[in-house]
Amino acid sequence: MQASRARLFKEYKEVQREKVADPDIQLACDDTNIFKWTALIKGPSETPFEGGVFQLVFSVPEQYPLQPPQVRFLTKIFHPNVHFKTGEICLDILKNAWSPAWTLQSVCRAIIALMAHPEPDSPLNCDSGNLVDVLFV
Amino acid sequence: MQNEEQLTCKIEDWANCCGGVDDDDFMQKQSSIPLLGDKEPLSTLAAEYQSGSPILLEKIKVLAHKYAAIRRARGDGNCFFRSFMFSYLEHILETQDRAEVDRIKIKVEECRKTLQGLGYVDFTFEDFFALFLEQLDDVLQGNENSISHEELQNRSCDQSVSDYIVMFFRFVTTGEIRKRSQFFEPFILGLTNTTVEQFCKSSVEPMGEESDHMHITALSDALGVPIRVVYLDRSSCDAGGVSVNHHNFVPAPGNLPSATSASSESINPFITMLYRPGHYDILYPK
Repeated sequence: MQASRARLFKEYKEVQREKVADPDIQLACDDTNIFKWTALIKGPSETPFEGGVFQLVFSVPEQYPLQPPQVRFLTKIFHPNVHFKTGEICLDILKNAWSPAWTLQSVCRAIIALMAHPEPDSPLNCDSGNLVDVLFV
Repeated sequence: MQNEEQLTCKIEDWANCCGGVDDDDFMQKQSSIPLLGDKEPLSTLAAEYQSGSPILLEKIKVLAHKYAAIRRARGDGNCFFRSFMFSYLEHILETQDRAEVDRIKIKVEECRKTLQGLGYVDFTFEDFFALFLEQLDDVLQGNENSISHEELQNRSCDQSVSDYIVMFFRFVTTGEIRKRSQFFEPFILGLTNTTVEQFCKSSVEPMGEESDHMHITALSDALGVPIRVVYLDRSSCDAGGVSVNHHNFVPAPGNLPSATSASSESINPFITMLYRPGHYDILYPK
């Protein structure tokens, strides 16, 4: 608990420093609870998501950073690896490939990369996954 | 038929990605075993195979000539690193070898610089480094925070301490592999057909990922600590008479391309592990 709090505080300071460096990500911590974060990410260019701004919510477990944060889209998005109703994201680094080398900020970057490069083989939204299969394979 | 195959493939992918039921069941069984058990006489190992393979029983007899005891680690994918952690700290606690502590601290600082050089952000690994260095100081006797053998065992079984130190070793290992990626690349390609970076991201850094030859070589080299691995498997030798193979991982001097077997027989590592396919435990010589 203490360790996760200390780590999150370091990430908070880093986010303040990096704000200008990465204009595609606006990560903010809840005023009263350092285990709750939200992010606004810009849809990557040359994708159907270009021009859109998507909101993510983070719920950080007490065992962080040994365990990954839970992240989901609050903004509705039609994407093979995102559950259309719940916003749940199927991304390996949020599950079994997580490591403490990741940060909330770099998780946002990975999600932006996933938006640009869907993985139709592990769909949470089968309709969208099939469309990608049909259109691009 | 092909469709069916594709479908199974997809289901498997999905299961891999989102955690299969069998895994959960297995993990639940494992979580009732302590992270590190008590030191047990080697006879308990033989008892495990009483109704099993005669080759293994023969091998355990051979093992008993040289080794007295075993300490089991939980099979949670971290058993190699956790066994290494305990074995190393126990060695320092028992020998009070301050020269070794000074030596490894220099190596730890090198590992820190390696990670920085590779672009890892300090705050992502510094807590893990700090906790290991703290344990090193604590096993040395004569200061305020000195700990007993019993306390070392308690800490090693306390997930919040133990996992942090396992993670420290994972950072050290990933740093070493990526720093010497040219050396490790052919082995990684042979094993997984991925890039060095992908291998580190998926098979070294995440907790619970099992260790292989490569992890052991890298950790041994990075910290300059020789490790002996004794192999207990069903392989038998033709020449009659059962023998038990072992391999010494000997850190290359100055971290030059790695461990050769030429010098490895003259070295007697103070860390010995018993390897059974898929699992490591600690072995204690007589």
